[in-house]
Amino acid sequence: MPFLIEHITEVVFSILVLLFLCNGALIALAIARRQRRERFFQRIDELRRLYNPVISDLKAGRLDYAQGLAALRGITGTDREYIWEQLCLATTPTPAQIPNLRRLCEDLGLVKVWQRQVSGQFDVATLRDAMARPEGVFQLLARLRFILRAKSAENLGIIRHQPSWPLLLKALTDPHVDVQNAALRSLAAIGDPESFLGLVQRLHDVVLKPGTRLSLRAVKAVLVTFPLAQAPALLPSLQHANRRIRFFATDIIRDMVDRQAALDQDFTLDLKVFPEELRELFLTQLGFDENPDVRARAAPILARIPDPRSAPLLLTLLGDPEWFVRLHVVRTLAQPKFQPQVVEIARRLTDANWMVREAAAQTLLTFGQLGVNQLFQDFLSSPDRYSREQIADTMQRRGLVPNLIDQYLESRDGKEKQVIEQLAQMGKTSYLLALLASTPDKELRRKFLLDFGHYSEANIRKWVINLATREPDPELRALARAALQRA
Amino acid sequence: MEAWRQTFYHTMNMFNVLIVLYFFIGNGMYTVLMLASLISVWLHNRRLAYQGLYEIRDSVVTPPVTIIMPAWNEQSIVVKSVRSVLKTDYPNLEVIVVDDGSTDDTLHRLIEGFGLVKMDLIYRPRISTRPVRGFYLNPDLPNLLVVSKENGGKPDALNVGINVSRTPYFCTLDSDCLLERDALLRLMHPIVKSPVNTVVSGGIVRILNGCEEKDAQVVRVRLPEGRLERFQVVEYLRSFLFGRAGWDLLGGTLIVSGAFAVFHRESVIESGAFGRDTVTEDMDLIVQLHRWAMHHGRKIRTSFTSDPVCWTECPKEFGMLQRQRRRWQMGLFQTLWKHSEMLFNRKYGVLGLLSFPFQVYIEGVGAAVEFLGYFMVPVAIMFGMVPPTLYVLFVFVGLMYGGFLSVGAVLLEELTYRRYPSFRDLMTLLLYAFLENVGYRQMVLYYRFQGVVQFVRGYRQWEKVVHVGG
Repeated sequence: MPFLIEHITEVVFSILVLLFLCNGALIALAIARRQRRERFFQRIDELRRLYNPVISDLKAGRLDYAQGLAALRGITGTDREYIWEQLCLATTPTPAQIPNLRRLCEDLGLVKVWQRQVSGQFDVATLRDAMARPEGVFQLLARLRFILRAKSAENLGIIRHQPSWPLLLKALTDPHVDVQNAALRSLAAIGDPESFLGLVQRLHDVVLKPGTRLSLRAVKAVLVTFPLAQAPALLPSLQHANRRIRFFATDIIRDMVDRQAALDQDFTLDLKVFPEELRELFLTQLGFDENPDVRARAAPILARIPDPRSAPLLLTLLGDPEWFVRLHVVRTLAQPKFQPQVVEIARRLTDANWMVREAAAQTLLTFGQLGVNQLFQDFLSSPDRYSREQIADTMQRRGLVPNLIDQYLESRDGKEKQVIEQLAQMGKTSYLLALLASTPDKELRRKFLLDFGHYSEANIRKWVINLATREPDPELRALARAALQRA
Repeated sequence: MEAWRQTFYHTMNMFNVLIVLYFFIGNGMYTVLMLASLISVWLHNRRLAYQGLYEIRDSVVTPPVTIIMPAWNEQSIVVKSVRSVLKTDYPNLEVIVVDDGSTDDTLHRLIEGFGLVKMDLIYRPRISTRPVRGFYLNPDLPNLLVVSKENGGKPDALNVGINVSRTPYFCTLDSDCLLERDALLRLMHPIVKSPVNTVVSGGIVRILNGCEEKDAQVVRVRLPEGRLERFQVVEYLRSFLFGRAGWDLLGGTLIVSGAFAVFHRESVIESGAFGRDTVTEDMDLIVQLHRWAMHHGRKIRTSFTSDPVCWTECPKEFGMLQRQRRRWQMGLFQTLWKHSEMLFNRKYGVLGLLSFPFQVYIEGVGAAVEFLGYFMVPVAIMFGMVPPTLYVLFVFVGLMYGGFLSVGAVLLEELTYRRYPSFRDLMTLLLYAFLENVGYRQMVLYYRFQGVVQFVRGYRQWEKVVHVGG
């Protein structure tokens, strides 16, 4: 036993010494790293100070190109390509700066370097140079890393280097997913129409081949950035036997259409942008697709097709058995041209699903006074409690209550009074009373006191008691007291 | 008498063996985690150069997110925190603050601070919660909603937030935290890029004490002045940079700080939402999600990313630190006990065979073993069972190893994010990485031991840590 203990003591002592050395090494490493980084940043800062004005002027076209290029080529050192990259791509270029920046990167030889790195190739000179220096071997190994390939793919996208798109398309099959993602983004940035088909093929691969490491969301995010003119290329996908591929293709076109519609509210899918074949496909097949996701995503596209069949089809989809199809259709109908369908939309206020009810109320509000009137009418006449609750909710959230109060004072037909009455009966008066409490309009408060002061609803009662005891205006105070007596 | 003596000697020997085993297995695992983290964090840091964060921000397919901030008696900091959150750079963002029946001025300050008006909106509870008292909105700030409810604890407040939110993902954020502008974009990055349903994505929590703030944003990172706070800076670096990053690389993430994490809403609801039977609801939910996925044959992923930063105030006083650590340790035990079927369960892979046992034996039971070791080993020396030289050496090894792990965390920070720009701060951190092991570590161990005792005694109270704020 003592023999063993002695050995344990030696072992523990050795561990102690080892740990002491390790600690020392880590501390030295941390300090060395800090000093090295500080030196690096000092150098970069100095180079930025010297060359950033040159690069800015070159990008903006304010400086003689040859002169600026010569100045940048004056940077020396084995890492000058890295320094050029740091200087040129330090800030995100504006679209106007991109052509000059691209030319600069080409003339500095950066584009060739990036292209080589993306494809994983090395020229003889680079190899010879790398092998000649001891640290060069490590640099060479470093070049094999996916990080460099991904960064290079990213850089080609930043400068929108159009000739590189086939290379980037090939990079979508790179063994590392980071390179695939960077290539995807760059393809989106370049936006070459010819690359679209390749990207669609990639979408098919991701859907059909399990184990693909690219996310569907990432591929879709790239495809939707292309213009609507590319939509015909999705025709085979829209007719694909796989229901998920049909769904993604429809959804991509929907996003393209939404983007156009955001720029022009009256935008329609005329034959110039949306060929006959696509139009027919949506009107005759996708609107009736067995996959409800496809039907749901087809709705916003159908709404933009100037064809007499589209509105009836949308109204049919408004009664779809799947709630989310109805939801998408109701949201789609929030366009001025669908004002004539106001009654059909209002029917959805009694939908079994609350999200559809809410969307219907919100869609009605986009029609201005017509929609508000319809909403009030349903609020007053609907026997469906859930529908009334939903309308009251939307009225508060969408800021209808201040308008209601304003119109209540001016109202001749008494509809606003009925709406307030209904709100009071439902106990939804917090917002209303908060507005009344903060209004300087004595006439409004007087009218409200006369009409509703005697109501037993808790919030109203509290407000009236407050007026009766604390209101400085004697007339209002007296009215409040009278209302309390009436109650 | 002899029999008693033999039993005593045997027990002491067993305990000494246990201490040695704990020391080597625990520190061995920590070393593995440190190496894994070095790879993981360094690689992640390099990948930031091309991660395309702003494409995510500008993309129409980026999913909307709701930030849920539970608040209970946070009057001193809540308005500042909400302002910071509203500045978050993210498309389609909603913010829901759930006032959990505060007894101070929290709700009133929110109403005043953001011009909110009470509205009578519909509450549709998919998860049962304590009753909601009211909703507060400002029509000019449509993405902010304050919900006032009866007190029911943090998990209940979070569940109300989930009920009210409508987005596919929600982010939990403590109401005493400040969020960096792009933190949510960074946190969503692994979700957007993952081909598998990423149900949890956690970020890093850093210490706000000592930093300069402007407009509810951290503008200059500095070390705090107080020693207690500095120790915690080192501790947080160790915990987040190499603890969680390491487990993430090994595929064994069991803990993501609920102070700042994104969750997939439907998965959370289906798995049963935040439970009220533990005091560490974040860990409980993550373990619960893994169990739910296993039982329902769902393929899920959890992710920890080291660059999305949320700043939080750490306790400045011993009493608050004691409450916090006691709660963490007790919650750890409660969660491990509740989900004990995962222990050495092969069906859970790395989680069941490595991560869960690590939490049980090293983080859980280990706290008690280490604490008792400080008393038992000297007793063993007194009885001549352990040579004093060996004990002294062993203590030094323990201290040196603790220092090694903490220095490793500081080095990791230095190799990657370098948030503390001054050289003086780096040297201070290195110094505190050593000092931490003398006094502070033992004190925290004592608090953790108290947590173990509380668990054994069946204590279930959530202990509030009060921040000084301002």
